[in-house]
Amino acid sequence: MNEDNLYIEQFLNGEEKGFEMLVRKYQDRALNIVYSLIGRDRESEDITQEAFLKVYRSLRSFRQRCRFSTWFYRIVVNMTYDFLRRRQNFLSNEGVLKRSVASSASPRDALFRKEKEQMIQEALERVPLKFRVALVLKDIEGLSYIEIARVLRCSIGTVESKIYRARQFLKAELLKSGGGAI
Amino acid sequence: MKECIKVKRLLSRYLDKETGDADSALVEAHIDICPLCKKELSELSRIKELILGKERRTLPEDYLVCRLREKIASEQYTEKRLSLVGIGSLSRRLIPVPVATIILLITFLFLISTGQQVSESSLEDNILSGAPVTTEAALGLILGVQD
Repeated sequence: MNEDNLYIEQFLNGEEKGFEMLVRKYQDRALNIVYSLIGRDRESEDITQEAFLKVYRSLRSFRQRCRFSTWFYRIVVNMTYDFLRRRQNFLSNEGVLKRSVASSASPRDALFRKEKEQMIQEALERVPLKFRVALVLKDIEGLSYIEIARVLRCSIGTVESKIYRARQFLKAELLKSGGGAI
Repeated sequence: MKECIKVKRLLSRYLDKETGDADSALVEAHIDICPLCKKELSELSRIKELILGKERRTLPEDYLVCRLREKIASEQYTEKRLSLVGIGSLSRRLIPVPVATIILLITFLFLISTGQQVSESSLEDNILSGAPVTTEAALGLILGVQD
């Protein structure tokens, strides 16, 4: 039995600890997927929380026909889609998120890094969503093509093509914004 | 050129280490002799590096767990209160039915009583003003029966 199934079993036996272990294990993964797709800190945090609430409410009906992670990533991606459909331009950029920037970086380095980071994120956000999702699951979360195909419910060939096209779009966008990053 | 098209399609997959041995060998042999495909691979590789090197967000360890605990506890509290006063989830779904029935009944009674008053007063007005009134209507007014 893998770790996730063990936590699920604990939760189904009435131990909330099982659910909390799943939250601790997947919170940053979910957060980074959502952030890479929408580029907003606070909203990424809220979507991540909502995804876990959905897990909490539906874990009892999870039939384990696929791995927990596949099911969970599907929830995260679908919630992000829902958010993007509803999105308006009132969003704030605050939040309690910590960023994993090296603390030893000088202010000038930090500024340069921040600008570069922003440029990459903005370019990524201009990649059409259907291609961006596959790329994020691959390069941010490190899923294999077969896992991505399961999450997105499509063929491996489609995943391959989406990732390839996402990279082409991203390259074009980065070149448009000066090409310094490439 | 034909091989370039084939290899270009494989480059992204090759970069992700998702190609089989035969395809990997084909890509490697081709990029040795084709500067264009080599350049394409190097650019794709740079794109991948940029995404991989993207700053990662982390939440304070128990931050989300605490937020979720609060949210779940508050939902469970509301659920419990509702079930304590006999309003379970099924009854909550059924509440609109009796409420709608009562509202409809009140509206119906109100309309009937208003209609009765209007027609009584108009008949009385007709009698007082000397306008022609049918015998049936006058009898109805006296006996308190409406059309």
